[in-house]
Amino acid sequence: MATCLNSRFPALLAALTLALTAPAFAQTNPGGEKDATAVAEQVEALKKKVIRLNRDLFILEEDLLFPANTQVAVFLSVDTGKFLKLEAVKLKVDDEIVASHLYTERQAKALERGGMQRLYVGNLKTGAHQMTAFVEGIGPDQRPYKQAASLEFEKGTGTAALEIRVEDRSSNYQPSVSIVEWE
Amino acid sequence: MGLTVFKPFQARPVLFTGALLWLTMIAFAQTQAQADELQPERVQDLRYGWALYEYHQGNAFEALTQLAVAREQGGIDGHGDHPALVEGGLMLSWGMTREASRLFTQLLGDDGSGSTLSPDVRNQAWFYLGKVFYLEGDRELAGENLGRVDGDILAEANHNLFREWIYLRARLAMMSSRLGEESELALLQAQLEDTDIWSLYLQYNSAVSALAGGDAVTAEAKLQALIAIIEQATDSVEPEAEREGLLDRARLSLARLHLRDNQFDAALEVLGNMPLNGVFADQALFDYAVAAAGQGRPERALDALDTLSNRDLFLPWRQQVPFARAYVLEQMDKPQQALPAFKRAANHYQTRIEELGDIRNRLSEESLMAQLDFSRDSDGILTDSYGRLRVKPVDFGMAEVLASETFQQALAELNELYRMQSFIAERQSRFESFRIMLETREQQRQVRIAQTRQALENQQADQWQQSHREFRRAISAALADQDAGFFMTSEQKALRDKLNEVEETLAGLPDDATTASQRATYQRMRAYFDWWIADDYGVNRWAAQKQLRELDREMERFQAQRQRVENLMGDDARHAELARRIAASERELATLGEEVADALGNARQALLRQVDEMLAAQQEELNGYLLASRHAQARLADQLFRASQRAGAGDE
Repeated sequence: MATCLNSRFPALLAALTLALTAPAFAQTNPGGEKDATAVAEQVEALKKKVIRLNRDLFILEEDLLFPANTQVAVFLSVDTGKFLKLEAVKLKVDDEIVASHLYTERQAKALERGGMQRLYVGNLKTGAHQMTAFVEGIGPDQRPYKQAASLEFEKGTGTAALEIRVEDRSSNYQPSVSIVEWE
Repeated sequence: MGLTVFKPFQARPVLFTGALLWLTMIAFAQTQAQADELQPERVQDLRYGWALYEYHQGNAFEALTQLAVAREQGGIDGHGDHPALVEGGLMLSWGMTREASRLFTQLLGDDGSGSTLSPDVRNQAWFYLGKVFYLEGDRELAGENLGRVDGDILAEANHNLFREWIYLRARLAMMSSRLGEESELALLQAQLEDTDIWSLYLQYNSAVSALAGGDAVTAEAKLQALIAIIEQATDSVEPEAEREGLLDRARLSLARLHLRDNQFDAALEVLGNMPLNGVFADQALFDYAVAAAGQGRPERALDALDTLSNRDLFLPWRQQVPFARAYVLEQMDKPQQALPAFKRAANHYQTRIEELGDIRNRLSEESLMAQLDFSRDSDGILTDSYGRLRVKPVDFGMAEVLASETFQQALAELNELYRMQSFIAERQSRFESFRIMLETREQQRQVRIAQTRQALENQQADQWQQSHREFRRAISAALADQDAGFFMTSEQKALRDKLNEVEETLAGLPDDATTASQRATYQRMRAYFDWWIADDYGVNRWAAQKQLRELDREMERFQAQRQRVENLMGDDARHAELARRIAASERELATLGEEVADALGNARQALLRQVDEMLAAQQEELNGYLLASRHAQARLADQLFRASQRAGAGDE
């Protein structure tokens, strides 16, 4: 019976034989792979161009909107986020709110991993200015936490860069917020 | 489904996950022993911090753009080679493998000399570079880069990577035809525990290599040993599903080896141990049917095939089930049941062939996409870490082509191209804003010019210049005439005026004895005054000339400043430069748009061609089954007819 079945099961056995002896048989034809490689290379070259163009447009936009002599950029960084889970931030420049942001979990994590967010970019005249940042989140003991920090700074003729730093202060297990000017 | 010759690189995401962890490490350049104790180091460059912010959110394009901006604006300070390494990792995650390879090679060089990266980071960079080449199928470069890894350092820094490193090198040794490959392979395998998942995959692949080399006996022995190890191992750190998947795969392969050698009992024993809800349950069921039929127990074969028949038959490999079921019925000597079964099978194949023909005729990108069910979130289609789209087939007939690497790649590229197209469209729409910005900027400039001109007018600059010229002329004339009086001090001038007054008064008085002494005094005073003026001439002239020089300098500075202001007011080079950049970018964007459209056409064609080829192959296979079913129908009908005739003759 077995011999008989084997001889009369050509389709089944042929399929099995193929499956056993030609593991790579199911792959697509080489021509198709070549096409795919060509398209992949084309796409990669285009990606490179897109990055370059995006870079140029980014710089162009900054040059148009925020010339170096008036530009002020404010970044925000977070320590490990041990004592404060950042939720929101508000930024005032010379008593005017210029930026506010609500953080998604992904953004907060990105900050905790060492990223820096450019919270605000704008133009300011040379001279003295005051900047105040209001930071909100979940602080120690899972309680809502708010803290503000201020800085008076002198805007010169070059680009000004400031950083709002949210740090973990292990001395009192509290977060601390400060504004630092970058040279 | 046959034997698979490599660890299924679901591990491509694993690569990325690993690369991500590694990049996280290198991004912060830490060397702490425990990964969970890693503390991010404060970035020393704002732009780098910004790039990392995008990177950690998975925004590879934005992160790469920020790194490119930083490079254009003078580079990133204070982080050595790490930004370049991060950039390479970002390129990997954005599917720019060739560019990433180039960057890594350039960065790491042959021996890493000159690189500021620590040996550990360099080591891991070589590992990932080698793995990229391995995945791209470039064995030579894969071997070269994996060979640069220092095993001891890697084992100490990251034992999981070390295990994978051994696996990759062993795989390369298996694929190589070099002499001494066997001993090299044995040495590598000896570095892994027998129960290590990587070692298990190696054992499986080793069996496949033996089979490919025609040594079925060794292949069988290896598969049996592998099954025994997996069944006995209980303290595995690997996910149970992965080990169970490999166990089922090994059992299926072993059963097929037995089937090939007509060892149906052995095949049934192996298949009988496979779970009915496993990944390979359907294939096992079909093989079970073949083995049962081979063993002479068609009723068991029929049970298995009936179970399979109740499942969706659209998976291409399951197309043989209707035919097989009818055939088993025939072998069970049930021609009355076999005939309609063959008829149903033929109808099924006929319908399916027509459906496939119809699908092929109407095959377009739109109809293809309608057959695919994409997983989406609010940001659009979800992708895996390699940019492959998360997609399921609506029609299971698509499953095979969908599972192929080339199709997945083509689909992902098509998606990337559409994203690029939408980026281009979005950017094109911003050029109008750019022009408005430029115009506004120019208007503001004109306002400032008008204000400046007003301010200059208020300064009465021309009058000051006129006075300066006159003063200079007067001094020159006085110098030429040696006019000491001109250079007198204020005190001297006051005294001169007084003396003149006295002289005038004396002139009005009678010239007699009463005024004689006054006249004499006046004469003495005048003589003294004249002597004083003459004596002070040099000093006074020098003081005046000094003042003039200072005035000249100030006036010169004033003039230069004024000239600069005038130049700034008159010169619109900055404006022209910005306008030129806008126009150039617009042109470049338009060219890029054309190139993307062109690439989209190619990607679309490649994708459709693959699907069409797959459908054609399915049609051809179904045609075979259709033909066989019809032949069987004819044969059985004939057989039944003859039998009925014989019965009729017997009755008579």
